[in-house]
Amino acid sequence: MGKELSIMHPRPSSIVAALYTLRDLNVDVAILHGPPGCSFKHARLLEEDGIRVVTTALDENGFVFGGRQELSSLLEKVNEMFKPKLIGVVGTCASMIIGEELHEPVLDANLEVPVLEVEVHAGYPDNTKGVLLTLESACELGVIDREELERQKVLLREATLVEKRHGAASKQYLEPSRGDVKYKVAGRVVRLLQEGRKGITIMNAKKETGYMFADISAAVNEVALALGRKDHVVNMANIDDSLGLPRVRHHAKCITADLRERGITMHEVIGGMDEYPVTGARVSELIKQKYSDYDFVIITGVPHAIPMESLEGMEIISVTNGPRQVLPLKEMGHHHVIVEIDLHPKTLGVNHIVESEFGATLREVAKDMLGR
Amino acid sequence: MKDQKRIAIYGKGGIGKSSTASNVAAACADEGYKVMIIGCDPKSDSSITLLGGRRIPTILDLLKQHLDVNEKDIVFEGYGGVKCVEVGGPEPGIGCAGRGIIVAIQKLQKVCPSMKDMDLIIYDVPGDIVCGGFVAPIRKGLVTEAYILTSGEYMPLYAANNICKGLAKIDTPLSGIICNSRSVTREEEIVRRFSEEIGSRLIAFIPKEQIVQDCERDGFSVLEKAPRADIAQVYRKLAKSIMFNEQSILPGSLEDERLRELTR
Repeated sequence: MGKELSIMHPRPSSIVAALYTLRDLNVDVAILHGPPGCSFKHARLLEEDGIRVVTTALDENGFVFGGRQELSSLLEKVNEMFKPKLIGVVGTCASMIIGEELHEPVLDANLEVPVLEVEVHAGYPDNTKGVLLTLESACELGVIDREELERQKVLLREATLVEKRHGAASKQYLEPSRGDVKYKVAGRVVRLLQEGRKGITIMNAKKETGYMFADISAAVNEVALALGRKDHVVNMANIDDSLGLPRVRHHAKCITADLRERGITMHEVIGGMDEYPVTGARVSELIKQKYSDYDFVIITGVPHAIPMESLEGMEIISVTNGPRQVLPLKEMGHHHVIVEIDLHPKTLGVNHIVESEFGATLREVAKDMLGR
Repeated sequence: MKDQKRIAIYGKGGIGKSSTASNVAAACADEGYKVMIIGCDPKSDSSITLLGGRRIPTILDLLKQHLDVNEKDIVFEGYGGVKCVEVGGPEPGIGCAGRGIIVAIQKLQKVCPSMKDMDLIIYDVPGDIVCGGFVAPIRKGLVTEAYILTSGEYMPLYAANNICKGLAKIDTPLSGIICNSRSVTREEEIVRRFSEEIGSRLIAFIPKEQIVQDCERDGFSVLEKAPRADIAQVYRKLAKSIMFNEQSILPGSLEDERLRELTR
């Protein structure tokens, strides 16, 4: 371990990562043990996703005298109010620095409901640490088995590497960007199809973000169909519904069903919805074997996890939801980079594919160009 | 894991915890036990008399430099093979020493497999438990019994009494009181009475002797520098009572009025 690159732009928080992981484990209530405003924005978003997030709301007195009593009585209160089947308790910077123990208040409250304790703060350079700590706690409590924990550990390590190689952790400072104009890129895609070029859609999405990225795959196929070029498009997506935590499998099932209903053939399933950091190798292999003569590729989700070697000679269009991902993708050699702004909030609390800006633009541009 | 003693020695600052801890560690090592001493004070001077006066790099020193920390970087063998570790900490008045202890202890557990092989691990903790971090060794389940060091004076006994309250609150058993004499009148009797009234017992009376000071100043324990001194025998006896102790209780505590009366 050398000295880590010190990144100046804001980074994802390990506390928030722990909260999202608790959601994937289907906890009914997550308790933040710390100041009232900690992780507010994500706590709100998670409520939209159907889990309750509450806080012990430690104040200056709490910092000085500790919050054991506050946490145990909040545990009792949420148990009474919400009748949860599984509860998560998450640390914060403030509570961890003053040395708060989560286990003692849990014992004090003495509930029959299992409680996942995650002693986490936001001071880790990689936010995946928050996921890891949550999963370790879940394994200890028997919510997931050791095998799943080991599988997740590999994925987390890879996810961190993907970010360091070509992602938001690749540079000391990355300027956020809105990317290329959707209208122009949509025009380019329609033209490629009109010219009879062959294209691949690759959805390599991180968990629930797939609800919107799948709409782009759908739109490309709709346009191809309208142009009479249905056979010129092959589709790949990481929607294997037999892999990952319960909620993640559920997303894969919902998206698969929606795509099927829209008449879209999924030619290649490249992994589970939590496998976005490791799908690159499978994609490379598939392209090498079957699709090396294709002309263009539209990669959505985590495009920077797909190795460039396999895409050689293709026109690359990528769609990300990270404004800081634009520059690294351009540097990798992607020709067009589009940002779906505010994608994540729109994919929380849904069970169906939701419309993307790029998908909508593509459909409209195609209509205009086809004169309908 | 085999039968392992994991103890912490508490007591008012300056009462002689480090000096008692290192002499006990040395005495146990002489008996053939595998011993580790973990200094949890930011001053990092717990193990100095086991290392011939040498200061070792602390866990937090290394973590601060973002170095990959391994057992060999932080565990140093001193007199009789005693393994010495210093947690370290920030300079006085800066940062958060309590958080430092938490982080360092977690690191130590992770990188130090030889902790499992020890017969005795002594946590030498700072005199005043001023915040959550200072009880981390106990809270994290690392310490299974506590000892309290005191003299027969009112203030050290007052501190000892407070520590008893703390131990009861965090469910940590007390295995005995050690009297480190400051040559007060009726001292042994006072400390014995105190021990009994809180439900414990006096397990050693260490007389005040210049030789302890002299050895310490030169960077040694009495056991190493003056093994034939009478006081070395006192430490040996104390070491034996610690290793063979099977009596621990959750301590009670006394009213302040009673404490004053005891020391009158």
